[in-house]
Formats: sequence, C-alpha cells, structure tokens
Amino acid sequence: MNQFVLQQGCSRELQMFPHIIEFGVKKNISIQLDSLPDTTVDNIRIYYIMDGKFEWNIHERQYILYPGDIAFILPNERFGGTKGFLEIGTLSWIHINAQKPENGKMQFGNWSRLSENETQMIGKILLLNKSVVLERLSEASRIFVSLQSELFNHEIGYHTRVNQLLDELLIIITRRLTRQTNSGRDFSKNFLQLEQKLREDLSHQWTVEEMAATVGMGTTLFNERVKSYSGFSPLNYLINIRISEAIKLLKKPDLNVTDIALDTGFYSSQHFSTTFKKLTGYTPSEFRKKNIS
Amino acid sequence: MECIISIELGTNAVRVYAFDLKGNTIGFANGSYPTFHPNPDYSEQDPEQIFITMLYVLKNFLSEKIHPKKYKILSICFSASMHSVLAIDKNGVPLGNAITWADNRGKKEAQVLRNSPLAEIIYHATGTPIHPMSPLIKIAWLKNQDKERFKQTYKFLSIKGYIIQQLTGAYVIDYSIGSATGLMNIHNKKWDPTALDYAGITVDQLPELVPIFYSPGKLLSQYQISLGLNQETKILVGSSDGCFATLGAGVWDDGKATVTIEDSAAVRVVGQRALQDKNCRLFNYILDEQYYISGGPSNNGGKAFEWFAKQFGDFKNAYDLESCMDDLIAEAVTVDAGSEGLLFLPYLLGERAPIWNANARGVFFGININHERKHFTRATIEGILYEMYSIENLLQEHRDIKRISVNGSFATIPFCTQLIADIFNKPVSVSPNANTVSLGAYLLSATEIGIYQNLDDAAKSIVLPDAFKPNKNNHNVYLKYYAIFENLSRKLFDEFEALSAVADP
Repeated sequence: MNQFVLQQGCSRELQMFPHIIEFGVKKNISIQLDSLPDTTVDNIRIYYIMDGKFEWNIHERQYILYPGDIAFILPNERFGGTKGFLEIGTLSWIHINAQKPENGKMQFGNWSRLSENETQMIGKILLLNKSVVLERLSEASRIFVSLQSELFNHEIGYHTRVNQLLDELLIIITRRLTRQTNSGRDFSKNFLQLEQKLREDLSHQWTVEEMAATVGMGTTLFNERVKSYSGFSPLNYLINIRISEAIKLLKKPDLNVTDIALDTGFYSSQHFSTTFKKLTGYTPSEFRKKNIS
Repeated sequence: MECIISIELGTNAVRVYAFDLKGNTIGFANGSYPTFHPNPDYSEQDPEQIFITMLYVLKNFLSEKIHPKKYKILSICFSASMHSVLAIDKNGVPLGNAITWADNRGKKEAQVLRNSPLAEIIYHATGTPIHPMSPLIKIAWLKNQDKERFKQTYKFLSIKGYIIQQLTGAYVIDYSIGSATGLMNIHNKKWDPTALDYAGITVDQLPELVPIFYSPGKLLSQYQISLGLNQETKILVGSSDGCFATLGAGVWDDGKATVTIEDSAAVRVVGQRALQDKNCRLFNYILDEQYYISGGPSNNGGKAFEWFAKQFGDFKNAYDLESCMDDLIAEAVTVDAGSEGLLFLPYLLGERAPIWNANARGVFFGININHERKHFTRATIEGILYEMYSIENLLQEHRDIKRISVNGSFATIPFCTQLIADIFNKPVSVSPNANTVSLGAYLLSATEIGIYQNLDDAAKSIVLPDAFKPNKNNHNVYLKYYAIFENLSRKLFDEFEALSAVADP
C-alpha cells in the first residue's frame, strides 16, 4: 500500500462518506518527538499494524503492537504513544464518526446496514470490552486493502462496498472480542464470566443473543449448554440473579421498591411485584416488612 | 401416593429428588449457582442466590412433576456441603457472601494454630482437622482481618442454616454440619468453650445444635402458598453431604470403607467411636446419636482429571467435556498398569488428607522419551487413586477394612472402579443409586416415619451389586509405584514450601 491520508472536508474521496473522518496509510521512517501525544479521541479509531513495533497507551493500559494487530479505540478514551511519539513502522488507520454512546447504546449512523438488533449487540459488546488490542487479526488486512481500492478506484457499486466493508470490519472485531478468551473447552469459566457481566449491568434488557455473544457462542449451542450446565434457560437464570439482587436491596431500608425493580432489570414495579410474588409468595413490600423490623 | 423430597445444597448446585416410600426415584431437578473468587484464596457464594435458586427449582419441580400426580409430600429433608460460614446481622440479613469449604483465606490462622499446643486439644474435642476449611479458622480470620463484619455479626450460620431460617424462621444447625465446624465438641454434642474462646465468639452467636432428625418447624405460610404445600409436610434439618453419601452407600458393620470421588473426594468409615489420630489428620463427624463418620478428604478428585482433559483432550464438539474424557479414558485403557513408569502427584489444589499441605502442587514424575498422551492420562487417574489409597492406609491403622464401596461421578467410571479394586486389593461395589447423598436423605426420612427402625437398619436395605474383583498381578505393580508415590509426596515438602515462597510471595 502506498502512503496517503484522506480527511473529511479536505479529500474528495470521502465526500460520499461523511461518517469516515479520516483514512490513511503511513510508512514512518523517522521518529519525531510529540508526534503521537496522549489525547482523548472523539471518534471510533481503528489502527492496523503492517510493519514495525508500536508501544501505545490505550485507555490507561500499555500495549505493544506487532504486525497484523488491530487497535480499537472508543470515543472519549485516552490514546497515545507510550513515549509520546510514533515509532518507526507502517500502519493504516480509519476514524469513523460515532455518536457518543448513551445509556450503553452505540449508534453508528445511517450508512450501516446492520439491523437494529445487531447494532445494539455489537455496540454492547464493544462497550463492554472498552478499547482493546486484538492480535493477528489477519482478515483486517484484506478489508483495509479493499477499502483503499474502493475509495480510490470508484468502480461501480463502490458506495455500497465501502459501507459493507466498514460493517464487516466491525463484525470481525466483535466476533474476535467474544472469542478471545474462549477455547471451547471450559464452559464453567465462560459461564462465570457471563454471570459477572450480567451482574455488572443488571438493569440492561439482556437478550439471549447478547448473552450468547458475550461468551462468543451461537445461540443454539449457548441455550443447550446453559441449560445442561445450570439447569435453567438463559433467561430464567437471569431472573434468578435479578431476584437475588433485588432481595439484597429490599433488605436495605433506604431504597424504594420502584428503583429496586428498575435497577435489577424488571420493566416496572408491577412486573417486579408479580415475578417476585410468584416465587416467594410475598410482594416485595411484604417481604421487606418481614425482613426489616 | 406418598413421597419424600430431598434437597441437597451442593458445592455448585442445588439438587432436588423425590422418592416414593420404597426409595425409588420419582423425579429430579437441579439448578446451579456460582462460586466467586474475588481473591485467589477466596471462595464465596451469594446466600440469596442459593436461596432463590433452591426456591425456583423446588417450585418448578413440585408444580411440574409432583402436584399433577397428586402426591402427598410427607417430608422435605435437607443436606448441604460442610464447613460454610455466613455472618448475619440482628435482622437476619447476610453480612456479605457466604464463605465456602474451599476458601483458603485463613491459611495463616490455621498454620499458627496448628503449631500451638491448643491445636491438639481443639482437634480431639471437635473432630475437625485444623485447616482453613474449618469454620473455626474462618471465624478467627474474620475476627483478625474483617473486624467490622465480625463486630456486626449477630450469628454465624452455615449456608443450610440460612436457607432453613428463611423457610421456617428457626436458627438451627444439625449435629453433622455442626461437627464439621471445628467449634462443636463431638463427645458431648455441645459447642466447645475452648474452640469458641479461640474464635472469639460466644454460644449465643451460634445456632442451636439439633439432631439430624429434628424438625425446625413448619414452612412459613407464604412459602406454603408459593410452593403449593400445606403444613403437614414436615421439614427435616438432615445432615451433611459427606455423612449422607456414606449412609446412602449402605451397610457398614462388616469392615467396609466408602470411597467418594466427585470434584473433590473422601474415604470414610462408620463406627461407634471417634478415631483418635495422633497427627490430627482424620475427621470425625457425627451421623446420629450412635455413629461417627470418620475419614480423610482430598481436594483433588475428578477435578484433577477434568483439568487434564481440558488442557490436553480433543474437543471434537465445543464444550463437550464428557465425550472428551471418554475418549481419553479409552486411550488410557490400552496402557499397562503403572503407566510405564510415569507417576502423578495430583495436588493441583493443594491437599488435605493425609499430607494436609495447602502448598503442595501437582507433579508428573518419571517422564521418558516414549511416553505419550495416553500414558499421562492413565498416570493422572492412577495418581488420583493412589491419593485415595493413602487415605485408606491411614484409616487401616484404626480399622480393619475388608471391602470398599464407591460412589461419585469419577469413582463410578468402570475403569476407575476396577483400578480402585486393583490398587486397594479389595473387592469394590458400586453404589446402585447414582446420587447417594439424596439416597441418604431418603433413608433418614424413611426412618423418621418408621419405615426403618434406625439408620443401621435403613443402611442395610441398600443392596450392593456384585463387586469388582482385584487383579493380584496389577496390585503388585501398583504397590511398587505407590511406595514411590508416597516417598515423593513426603520428600517434596521442602520444595513445595520453597516454590510457594517464590511463586506466591
């Protein structure tokens, strides 16, 4: 790949793609001080390393990147060279405009052909993992090369192709993220990981697809494994955790029942009350009265 | 039709069984709950999650399998893992998570106590070896390291005690679980003043000690409604999983020892007198007014083989550990006894009986250029069973053991059962019921309603199938390897200590 930098507002190649803020390839042959200071990024940034070795700080963690590695950085997070400069080597990058995540939801924009469900799930997984470095993500190389050729050659259908490639890039990054710690051997480990993720964000309206993706599995296998491992369907297991947490909160006198319901992921205090009573025989307020005297 | 329900609050899951009055299983349901390790030495469980999971499983089980057939439920009998501690405040609200048997946070406390003259006195009075598993040590740890929680604690319960309190309102602990706390005097069945003094607590901070047949009262009315039960269903406190597994394994008066291997493992004998091991290595837990269950526990049962399978097995299907283990065992069968000179010390999780060393580690010894995976597989299994044999050897100093019965998912794999027969050189019978813990609970309930005169009688009702016979030639081979195994376990003590000092300073 030759060196180039395309920037939104300056480069005609990006006119059709307002969501691509910057796209470039750089072969860095000399070190310049302060060429990569620590900053807070405001877009999604994806770097692909082609040659050399880079030491970066991403979201308060230090990484060393080698050829084939991908760095994925979310808006609002810190990013910069560990020593403040860009090391010698070759890399490609793209900055994609994304609205700041709200309520744990990520919006990519109208260009994306991902369904609403998929966007939510991908956003969720990216946000859960924060910024990351993925080692030897070889599929990324092909996408960066194709992106460049589509943007410069303007062959028929290029508008659709570029956006497809961006979607694909997000998909392969997400898939790798969910599979990273997952060997296909130790389900109990994955299940504990899932349990922790669920507890960290209990108010979220989890779907089975999201839960499965969190541990890098397809939903069919996931359903089957959860059932045989835990005795519960994934959603029933989630209700277990919700009610257990709710019980703990009900035993603290200073929280109101509606807040507890919403904090533990029930749609409403009514939904909470019905579910709770069915299992324990008590309404949440009766239960509270019994336990706080 | 009448039935009996047993609820086992196990290490990873709650298991609910229904039995008819003849002891046939009518139905089964289970539900898991996680163990949290906020720190490598910690093992904790959420008491509310255990309670809700139990309630959920029980409710669904009753409404799907029992109520539609109009069964009359005579009693619900509980069992649970031993050694758990849950601190609660004066409103009965848990102060943090329950600390489970596997928790090692009290390592230092245990070591200090073991080196003091108090250790022997407490051990002989309470029957529980001085080890971080013991609630005695856990409470001492809370006293020293978590002063705030210790100060706020109204009572120290067990997990089962908490569940029973939630369901009935009563604060009780049965003799079996009680005798595994290191706080109860097993000779007079009262809380032991010396042990309590060491732990820094008073009698009123502990629940009431009751026999395993005791009924703590009716279900609270709300739970009667939600579970669809009436107040005629009797609640029985029951016993511990270890005691029930031994009871459920049947007759014990003819020199029989029971080998249980699940994730962890134990070798146990039943007798009317506690075993006084001069090195404090054996436990003595109370079954009922008459019997003690004595033996030694191991951390490294099926868990050690599972570790091996996860690391080195072929997973043809994702997460299909079972067929992966089956394939490995099929390979191991083709290797001769003794694994062609490869030995395995299974101490992946440290070890309890008989070496009682939390710093012990796993070791493969004697690897040569011809060893393949199948040798390692077989050596792993042999190593786990040599460890069981070493506990049996210790028990032999006190009892004349003539026969073995085995239960638990690992010990009942036919290949492993035959290996136990060969290594121990004794006939080995497999318990006919897959879940001997629940069967033990059934025997207790059935005795309580008068089907059997006493537990002795109840145990005799279990008919053991034909035994696996030992192979003399293999036994002679195993004996030679076992001598090396035993020596290694002893000789490596200093190196285990040194490694621990370097690896986890």
